[in-house]
Amino acid sequence: MQPNLILINEFCVYHHVEVEFVQLLEQRGLIETQTIQQATYVQPEQLPQLEKFVRLHQDLAIHPDDLDVVNELLERLEYMQQRVTHLQNRLVFYEPSGS
Amino acid sequence: MDFIDYYSVLGVPKTASDDDIKKAYRKLARKHHPDLNPDDAEAKKKFQQINEANEVLSDPGKRKKYDQYGKDWQHADQFDEARRNAGQQQQSRRQYAGGDDFSGGFGGADFSDFFSSMFGQDAGTGGGRRQAKFRGQDYQAELHLNLRDAYTTHKQTMNVDGKNIRITVPAGIDNGQKIKLSGYGSPGVNGGPNGDLYITFVIADDSRYKRKGNDLYVDEEIDLYTALLGGEKIIETLDSKVKLTVPPETQNGAKVRLKGKGFPVYKQEGTFGDLYVQWQIKLPTNLTEEQRELIRQVAAM
Repeated sequence: MQPNLILINEFCVYHHVEVEFVQLLEQRGLIETQTIQQATYVQPEQLPQLEKFVRLHQDLAIHPDDLDVVNELLERLEYMQQRVTHLQNRLVFYEPSGS
Repeated sequence: MDFIDYYSVLGVPKTASDDDIKKAYRKLARKHHPDLNPDDAEAKKKFQQINEANEVLSDPGKRKKYDQYGKDWQHADQFDEARRNAGQQQQSRRQYAGGDDFSGGFGGADFSDFFSSMFGQDAGTGGGRRQAKFRGQDYQAELHLNLRDAYTTHKQTMNVDGKNIRITVPAGIDNGQKIKLSGYGSPGVNGGPNGDLYITFVIADDSRYKRKGNDLYVDEEIDLYTALLGGEKIIETLDSKVKLTVPPETQNGAKVRLKGKGFPVYKQEGTFGDLYVQWQIKLPTNLTEEQRELIRQVAAM
């Protein structure tokens, strides 16, 4: 095993998902994997994203093909929330008592 | 420890079919799923309740036991014992209490006491799949600062999950800003990496300074005569004092910009926003008759 890298097969066993699920996410460009001597790995930094996709798939029965749409919308949501926080900070400037 | 009505958690009648339960669970899970409601602690709690209700009601064995004992759940063990003694055919609780090797970290932590007492600590099977059993869980924390704290890069100790963590807060952090500390979450299992710690900064409003991005705004009072005739005024900034010249005939609300005297720019050491001083002209009160007369003369000129 490569230091720090997470073996996909191992990840799939722990999370009860098929290796094909991870491959599909990789093909959709949602995560990046690395193949070394025929074994596929992910960087530990990718794990939070990968686990999120597993949760969405298992908890909400979202088909892997649809996860990119969900991900896109979640990213937009995050951006909008940042904007809201930014605008709230601005609003406090004009209306100190209300935010 | 209170009895939990799992049917009402999912909003279904006791007669609900497996399909009804599945449908109700999906609908509520979509609404409250933590990944779809980031930073919403309420949603997370709600989702755990829904998850637990589903865990029980979607498993025929658990549902049967739950229905059988209902509100008398505390006596479930005694009932079991009585039935065993009576030689009746009974289902072993162990059947439900097995759990799998990977469910640790979920069952104990995220199911209610009620659930654990009825089905055992590690009874989460379906639900156990959902949580990280490999990479540790992420932690979310809030750090409350006042504006003056956020002005300088400083160390701060916070208690996260019983452990003290010393972090460096870079100057210029914004209200609502979130930073990630990799590996400061809960420990990983089976060789998995630790989770991360996310800290959201909450910066209280300051009574003197108003912040707009990296710029600061402050109101300063001057009396009528300084405004009319000009003068000097010493202004406090966040790190020093500055002597400002008030030009003659300064209007109420006029602004002076002090370049580089505002708030530090986040992670750009040595760079600062500006400080805007807005003059508030304070009119005199309790005028003497003599003063009044003189003002009348000025007004008539």
